[in-house]
Amino acid sequence: MKRRRMLAHLPLALVAIATVFPFYVMVVLSVQEGKPLSLPGSLLPIHVNFQAYAQALAGSDVARWIGNTLAYSLISVVLVLVFASIAAYAFAKKRFFGSKAMFWTFIAMLMVPYHLTLIPQFLLISRMGLLDTLPGLIVPTLANAQALFLMRQFIIGIPDELIEAAKIDGAGELRVFFQIVLPQCKPILATLGVFVFLWHWNDFLWPLVATRSPNNYVLTLGLYSLQAKDVSLAVTMAAAVVTFIPILLVYLLLQRYFVQGVTMSGMK
Amino acid sequence: MATDLLTKRTTRSSVSRKRAPSRWQRMRRDGSAIALLFVLPYVLLFVIFRLGPALAGMLLSLVRYRITGTIQWQGVNNFQRLFTDSLFWNALQVTLTYTLIAVPLTVVVSLAMAQLCARSIRGIKVYRALYFLPVITSLITSGVIWQWIYSGNGPLNWLFSAIGVGPVSWLSSGAMVLPSLSLMSVWTRFGYDMLILLAGLLAIPKEYQEAALVDGASAWARFWHVTLPQLKPALFFVVVLELIQSFQVFDVIYVMTGGGPVRSSYSLVFFLYDQGFHYFDFGYASAAGVVLFVITLLVSLWQRRLFREDS
Repeated sequence: MKRRRMLAHLPLALVAIATVFPFYVMVVLSVQEGKPLSLPGSLLPIHVNFQAYAQALAGSDVARWIGNTLAYSLISVVLVLVFASIAAYAFAKKRFFGSKAMFWTFIAMLMVPYHLTLIPQFLLISRMGLLDTLPGLIVPTLANAQALFLMRQFIIGIPDELIEAAKIDGAGELRVFFQIVLPQCKPILATLGVFVFLWHWNDFLWPLVATRSPNNYVLTLGLYSLQAKDVSLAVTMAAAVVTFIPILLVYLLLQRYFVQGVTMSGMK
Repeated sequence: MATDLLTKRTTRSSVSRKRAPSRWQRMRRDGSAIALLFVLPYVLLFVIFRLGPALAGMLLSLVRYRITGTIQWQGVNNFQRLFTDSLFWNALQVTLTYTLIAVPLTVVVSLAMAQLCARSIRGIKVYRALYFLPVITSLITSGVIWQWIYSGNGPLNWLFSAIGVGPVSWLSSGAMVLPSLSLMSVWTRFGYDMLILLAGLLAIPKEYQEAALVDGASAWARFWHVTLPQLKPALFFVVVLELIQSFQVFDVIYVMTGGGPVRSSYSLVFFLYDQGFHYFDFGYASAAGVVLFVITLLVSLWQRRLFREDS
């Protein structure tokens, strides 16, 4: 019996080790600044130092990049959710001229690869003078069709009676939305919020195109620039750890929303 | 009869015109004015930053757009140039090869891991949580780590030399670079696909498996004849997702190989980026974008057709 249980764990554990190994490598290399690389010695560090972190945070722009990435991710999450939820409420619960045509246009756009829009978006923000600015980075990412679609599907499920009752009690449209509809949406807002945060935190291509000066880099871009420059492996890995830790914390705290989000995308 | 209908209609419309004070007031009364107000911010953002650029991208593929802002009509010239450009065919071939290696590998691993994770043994939640870690990691972070793992004196070659093989030039040989990148993409993707397949597996009624067990079906037969047909929608979704993902591969290539060695990992999106932001040939790059769009569209339509046949 015990052996059978062991056998069940064996493949799972092997894959788990293979999954975690790169993260282990990242952490282990980051705490060995100044030591010559040798295998397998470097993978089993005996003397640990945090010079690489001190160097990364003091010497280069890593601290600034953290701030930029936080701003890019957090502001985008809030604005995406605000715009998508208000619009989704109207699409779910109200009938108005052109609503169907509009909604299906949004959904059809999901089929157009993002890369086709990349160059026009770049030209657009350069013409607007927003190239290499935070608004230029954020604003083009706000019209998120997936968020709109999933919000609408969710709001359709909110009973009409709830909304009608509030209206009979004399609540205005805005109050109905903020006090009745939005509180009901907490689960979907959390799920979408987590994913929008993840997309922005890890986004690379759009910041690569929309920012120029190292001052305005986000972490992914900065990490790439560090690697292309001639900094030591330990400093690069320290920057990688710094990039990874915030998203790891979000994952550990809100894990069930990640799982819900994935299965939701699977069911469509 | 026809004239009768016509007069009726005109009279009705004239009546309504007289009665209804204005379109705006009518819309206010039935709540559609407020609805339009609610969708307005989103619609504006969408039209300016998504729909507009998508249409502009298609238009750009038909012109020559210089960085100075002058536009010159080209017709299908960009596409003609594209289809005679060996660099483009190389990009297409690289993308296709990568897709053919990465997608089956990822789907098979995800399916196997979903099967393993569907059992209720102690600690299974910890395993599932661990497998998801690469999914939340940025491809740049992953790329930086894997570049060292794949490097000439990295741990993988150290392991191989211990058993007397190698060293293997994982990223620096034209033959190995796409398999190496595919292997890494399995690591980054299987946690996500596995969860989708796991949800599908857990939704299959237990009675099916039990009935097959009573009938004396082997484990393989149960998987092949009971599980797999039930899992088809989820499996299909995962395949399409992976196809689209791998056709758009860019980040890891940009970080790890820069399209090399000698353009053997120069993918379609890399081509688009290179032509657009290196040579500033926006029209030509957009033509490649249109090709990507057509491919994506074909995959999506294929998915729809298969689904329709299913139901």
